[in-house]
Amino acid sequence: MNIMKAIYNFIVGDIIILVGVLLTVVILVLINNLSVLAPLRIVSGGILIVAVLAILIATLSREAFSKH
Amino acid sequence: MQWTALTGAFLASAVEFVEAFTIVLVVGVTINWRSVGAFAAAATLAIIVATFGVALVQLVPLDILRLIVGVLLILFGLKWLKKAILRYSGLKALHDEEAIFEETMAEVRARGEATTSRIEPFGVALSYKAVLLEGLEVAFIVITFGTSVASNKALGIGSAAVGAAIAGLLVILIGALVRTPLKQIPENTLKFIVGIMLTAFGTFWGGEGLGVTWPSSDAFLLVLVVLYLLVSFILVIWLKQTKQQRVIGVAKSYKEQNTQKQQEIPS
Repeated sequence: MNIMKAIYNFIVGDIIILVGVLLTVVILVLINNLSVLAPLRIVSGGILIVAVLAILIATLSREAFSKH
Repeated sequence: MQWTALTGAFLASAVEFVEAFTIVLVVGVTINWRSVGAFAAAATLAIIVATFGVALVQLVPLDILRLIVGVLLILFGLKWLKKAILRYSGLKALHDEEAIFEETMAEVRARGEATTSRIEPFGVALSYKAVLLEGLEVAFIVITFGTSVASNKALGIGSAAVGAAIAGLLVILIGALVRTPLKQIPENTLKFIVGIMLTAFGTFWGGEGLGVTWPSSDAFLLVLVVLYLLVSFILVIWLKQTKQQRVIGVAKSYKEQNTQKQQEIPS
């Protein structure tokens, strides 16, 4: 458990960034592999950029509005 | 030579090595310079880069490699960018090398360590750990950044490793000359630039790994860098304003509380 925590802290150390990036990857993999979502493939680059910026804003907002 | 890999790794390494140098300096000053285990840590890092670098390049298929490296670069990039933005906006204190130096020195002295000519295991362990921990992030960046920016992956890792080595030597050289914590180096600016670079390259390569076709091919990297820079500047301004509003809010409520207390006191 301690090793997992150390790896998590070393690579990212922020749950919003980790979950956000992984969620984005899953969504893009689905868009890329499911034929139902094929029309979205053309905007997958845009989705990735917007997701990265949204994650950054979300994690900074948490720091800015936290009670500490 | 792959200049993008070299520059990125140089900047990232400069930040981390400056932080590691502060601890090394404490050991050198309080115990002795023979007890500095920094070179052993540097050798360990070189082995890590060589082993993982070669394994990644030779064993992992290109598409999967791009995706893994892209995701790791985004994670690292956002982590660095977040810290730098918080420090610029004043929500997080700037990294103070002098304070860390004083604090670590007090800890070493409290342990009863004194200047000696012998090699002290505690000094070796402390400096080895500092350089290894700070350098591990550099090793990761050298491998991921090196494999992502160049079409020839071995050349990319080699260039990134050269950039990291130059930064390390430069920090050692400057440190040996001044023998004080390197507080003049603009650590936060370096961290900000590296954060932007890692996030932009991560988005680009992660996207390619996920089947995204970027308009204008490699030139789109520049668009990503400019976009992330612009958004980051806006975020710094927004966070500064948020902080100011919070300070004003706290001051107001404090004033109100004081007025209320004064009214409650019977005249």
